[in-house]
Amino acid sequence: MGDDPIAALLLRIAAQDRAAFREIYSAASSKLLGVLLRILGNRAEAEDALQEVFTRVWLRAARFDAEKGRGMTWLIAIARNHAIDRLRSRNVQSNNDDGETLAQVADSGRGVLAGLVAKGEARRAVKCFGELEANKSAAVQGAYLDGLSYEDLAARFGVPINTMRTWLRRSLLKLRECLDQ
Amino acid sequence: MTPPDRDIPDHEAADILAAEFVLGTLPLEAREAAATRIRRDAHFALAVARWEHRLAPLNAGYEDVPAPDLLPKIEARLFGAAPKRQSRKPAFWKGWFGGAAVAAALGLAVLAYLPTTPQPFRPLTTLAAENSDLRYEVGLRGDDLRIAHIAGAGADAAHVHELWLIVGNAAPISLGLITGQETTLATTGLAPGMVLAISLEPTGGSPTGAPTGPVLVTGVIEKL
Repeated sequence: MGDDPIAALLLRIAAQDRAAFREIYSAASSKLLGVLLRILGNRAEAEDALQEVFTRVWLRAARFDAEKGRGMTWLIAIARNHAIDRLRSRNVQSNNDDGETLAQVADSGRGVLAGLVAKGEARRAVKCFGELEANKSAAVQGAYLDGLSYEDLAARFGVPINTMRTWLRRSLLKLRECLDQ
Repeated sequence: MTPPDRDIPDHEAADILAAEFVLGTLPLEAREAAATRIRRDAHFALAVARWEHRLAPLNAGYEDVPAPDLLPKIEARLFGAAPKRQSRKPAFWKGWFGGAAVAAALGLAVLAYLPTTPQPFRPLTTLAAENSDLRYEVGLRGDDLRIAHIAGAGADAAHVHELWLIVGNAAPISLGLITGQETTLATTGLAPGMVLAISLEPTGGSPTGAPTGPVLVTGVIEKL
């Protein structure tokens, strides 16, 4: 746990330690607000979502398993899941166009991984994404980082939805094979 | 639901679904079904955790955005010690309950009038509703939440009673399914002011991760 201070805080929170809860807010709120803002694209909604996310962190801390992953990965998964749920509900309610979101993804192709410090898992991720065709790598990253749906991605890349689905599924299998080595 | 992919073998379907859930591309209905499966299917939950780990290097693409201090609001929501009320609009679950504030108050009233015979656990609240004789007693034994069926009819063969925790304006969180006369559920983080509710769900529990059936009984945790 020495190298994962967030995990250590989560274990204390699972034991109802409110001081640890305040510490984890200081340590992680900026990162999680970054996640929420990027996916939701709206400051007020992102801040509202941030409250919901930390509420869940308190209530679900006991489910965190340090054997299965790092503390920050777990926190970001909660934030992404909540933001994407909001996004999908929103799309169901008002089927408006996603022009704004789509503009964001245009340049998110290789930038993310190129900017990563090449160490350990990050180096492997750069290599594995590099083995995908550029547009497929960009589609996977756009889905992950911006919360784009198959419909969004199909429109962005100008292919039918079923084609996009097949692209992503095959890309995921390739990534799994490469990342698990 | 997404159609099967001819080129992807069946045994990969679950892992692909886990990957798509983590990636976030699924439409709402499929997402909710996958979220429910995570709670029920340990293998699927593990597959999701593995994908979260695999794709975690992408998290470096999220930039920090300094957050305002929302802790007081969050703590007020969780721990009830509201320094000042941040919102006057009624919590959405009140609409969902349909006048359940009354029912919740009734839950407390019922608790007050229960016979004071020694309980096998520390009582938290009684779940009840105005027009129903269904009643559950909820208490703690150690860290375990104990739910005892006291009165009224249980669910029929096609349904199950599911227990939910509601904290402030947040969406209800499933604590689990009620089985038999007395159910024990692991839980953490309960605090005074939080609401417990039981809804009627299809066998196996809510398919969406949110309550889908009518709310049968409710109660407010008065003190721990």
